[in-house]
Amino acid sequence: MSNAPGSPPLLSTAAMAVELTGITKRFGAFIANDGIDLAVRRGEIHAIIGENGAGKTTLMNILFGLLQPDEGSIRLNGEATVVADPAAAIKAGLGMVHQHFKLVPSLSVADNVFLGMEVRRHGLIDHAAQIARTQELSKRFGLHVDATERVGLLSVGIEQRIEILKVLVRGARTIILDEPTAVLTPQESRELFQTLRSFVAEGMTVIFISHHLEEVMEVSDTVTVLRNGRKVATRPTSELNKDELVRMMVGREVSFDRRPRAALHGDIVLDVKDLWARDDRRLPAVRGASFAVRSGEVVGIAGVAGNGQTELAEVLSGLRPASHGAAWLKGQDLTTLSPAAIRQAGLAHVPGDRMVRGVDRNASIAANTLMGRQHRAPWSQNGVLDWKAIAQNAGALIKSFDIRAQGAGDAVKRLSGGNIQKVVLAREFTNGADFLLIDQPTRGVDIGAQEAIHDEIMRQRAAGQAILLISVQLDELAALADRILVMFNGRIMGEVAGDDADEDRIGMMMAGVSQQLEPA
Amino acid sequence: MSDRLRAFSGQIIAVGVALLLGAIIIILVGESPVHVLMTLLRGAFGDQEKIAGTLLQTTPILICGVAACIGLRGGMFNVGIEGQLFLGGFAAAWVGFTFSLPAGIHTLAALALAVVAGAAWVAIPAFFRARYNTNEVVSTILSNYIAVLLTSYFTIFLFKRPGGWSETPPILATAYLPEIFAFSRLNWGLVIGLLLAVGVALIFRYTSWGYGVTMVGSAPKFAEYGGVDVKRQGFVVLLLSGAVGGLAGGVETLGVHHRFMEGFAPGFGFDGLIAALLANGSPVATIVTALFFGALRSGSLLLEVDTSASREIITVIQALIILSVSAQVLIKRRGDSQAGERRWKF
Repeated sequence: MSNAPGSPPLLSTAAMAVELTGITKRFGAFIANDGIDLAVRRGEIHAIIGENGAGKTTLMNILFGLLQPDEGSIRLNGEATVVADPAAAIKAGLGMVHQHFKLVPSLSVADNVFLGMEVRRHGLIDHAAQIARTQELSKRFGLHVDATERVGLLSVGIEQRIEILKVLVRGARTIILDEPTAVLTPQESRELFQTLRSFVAEGMTVIFISHHLEEVMEVSDTVTVLRNGRKVATRPTSELNKDELVRMMVGREVSFDRRPRAALHGDIVLDVKDLWARDDRRLPAVRGASFAVRSGEVVGIAGVAGNGQTELAEVLSGLRPASHGAAWLKGQDLTTLSPAAIRQAGLAHVPGDRMVRGVDRNASIAANTLMGRQHRAPWSQNGVLDWKAIAQNAGALIKSFDIRAQGAGDAVKRLSGGNIQKVVLAREFTNGADFLLIDQPTRGVDIGAQEAIHDEIMRQRAAGQAILLISVQLDELAALADRILVMFNGRIMGEVAGDDADEDRIGMMMAGVSQQLEPA
Repeated sequence: MSDRLRAFSGQIIAVGVALLLGAIIIILVGESPVHVLMTLLRGAFGDQEKIAGTLLQTTPILICGVAACIGLRGGMFNVGIEGQLFLGGFAAAWVGFTFSLPAGIHTLAALALAVVAGAAWVAIPAFFRARYNTNEVVSTILSNYIAVLLTSYFTIFLFKRPGGWSETPPILATAYLPEIFAFSRLNWGLVIGLLLAVGVALIFRYTSWGYGVTMVGSAPKFAEYGGVDVKRQGFVVLLLSGAVGGLAGGVETLGVHHRFMEGFAPGFGFDGLIAALLANGSPVATIVTALFFGALRSGSLLLEVDTSASREIITVIQALIILSVSAQVLIKRRGDSQAGERRWKF
């Protein structure tokens, strides 16, 4: 175990610690990485930023040997390298700190750090040496970890430092951190940044994955932005501001025209009051959201993906408990109801992850249009389904929503993404609900289908439905919404009227700069 | 329909591969595969008595298979059918030898208690699954051992027939499931099994409840989103699966043995599960696969008489079928997997 950071580094004159060229990775039809080039200079903190699903983690898993690229090549310290598995990556001086920690709670910090590479003396584990080494590294990089403590007693922040120690002990000179601040308090994040700076001060290299602009601006030397599996740009951080970063992350592929509309001032259908909810890691994801949606109105929610929009939608549809607050749908508090009862109360929901939540891919179109109404006439009578009526209805929906399929018996998985989304819309928009919760209606949908979906949403608005439209596409919101609320870090940062949606103002709010200028 | 065809073609290839490997093993033990196959066929379908014997073996496999199908449809892996079968068998016998009731009613009462016993036995793992998300595969497997030994205890220590083997007193003739032919012990249990398979298939296809359960099994997040109470349906499905498992035991006791014996029905629960998996969870297709396993079982009786192969070769072939069916499932899923894809690379 001589290749620890204390020992002389593998001497190499290459200026680039990591060079990825033309990396492409496909999962079935989905392209997670599409011809990505990435060059990381030795001794810099290089941030990789992008929305959830932009391909950051896939790219890093490829670099670390957890996944194999379909195309492309990797050079480490100037040498062409095939990273067959993580062992090869570690040998080449890479280290990765994952989002989910892999520690043994019953062992001490030092035992965890040296797990699998124990220091031996006379055939026995030399605990004293392991502890001494752990303490020394901890002190050198300001990690403040007690090497003798049992891991099960420690906080998440400390666990992350132990993972960093593990990487250091294995001789890493280039350290990859996958969303390291997601589990940290602001104070802990600042301490982590100190540690990262001390790494580069010693000539090491840090690759830092994030979707939080502030911290990227604060800590990195260089930023690479990924979007939809592609690289948008690599720029020195000093040349960028948050606003530009948001624009690069969110992108602007299509420009929709604002849809003409007549002002309708209906009654309040959905009234959300100080709503809080936690994400899957039990961290607050929605922090005190308050807003109302009236009938005949499209309220848009803008924001960089991962700022609490998903959790908000899940709370409103009963799929996630609220930790505080209320959401009244025509007088009933949704936070106390089951998903079935919420539908009964008048919710239709177009979910963001339509392939998992929105459809059963293996079932027919007819079976997919039945969900949520299988206990209602005319589709069933006394608990017995009338498949003829169901198929007829599905056939009518295929026609009126222009779903490109051969018939109601087609399996949904045979359809294109846009047509699958139309199946979801057809089902949800014909449920007789008063409140439509629409999450990312056109993600991964071709232009033609996008137009059709937008037409349909406007038709629903004209019919007097109350619509909450969550989208990461600003153009979509600018085209459809009467009002746009901007979400950042679980909070509603401000509101912009759809008629004068100013991208700069929205962009600032998406980047977390609140708008004090709002008229009260 | 082409989807369904494709699903079944995978199963057929799996069985073919297993039979091919079985043939190789038969050659290795110095016997002719053709001879063994012909003997198996003769043993299973050689004359009307043999056919009746095959159907007799098919009956409990079929009912257990339907029990497994109910679980699989709702996304629940009930591996405890063997245990439910034992408890159901004992419960039916107990009604049969304890009470005296009019014929017909006695049978129905015994079957009803078998159903209740099976459901009650699976209720424990089902509760833990619904409440604490315990893996039902593990808990139902473990519950088998308890069930088998518990019925042994009942039989040997509490209800042993004086002077007899490890068996209960015989049940009264009023509780018998009537035999269909004079020349065989084949009884109305087969009809119960066939009706059950068709009935369950119809329920899944044509009721609102069946639709919800099917969706829980095939796309749980979609079902949850659509308002189906996923946990509750999982519990109900396991309970029903256990109930049918208990019924299988009752049918076996009342139709064939007319008493409860220790180890009275070895492996029917597991054969049923395999038959259901081979049938892709379709109760109607399970009729065919159960017949296949029933034929293997009954044909193997002739194997040791007429060939130099041991009847254990049947167990080997069954094991090969399990392996190739599971391999086939893994290969199929390989395309769907994203995060786990490395796991299947060798």
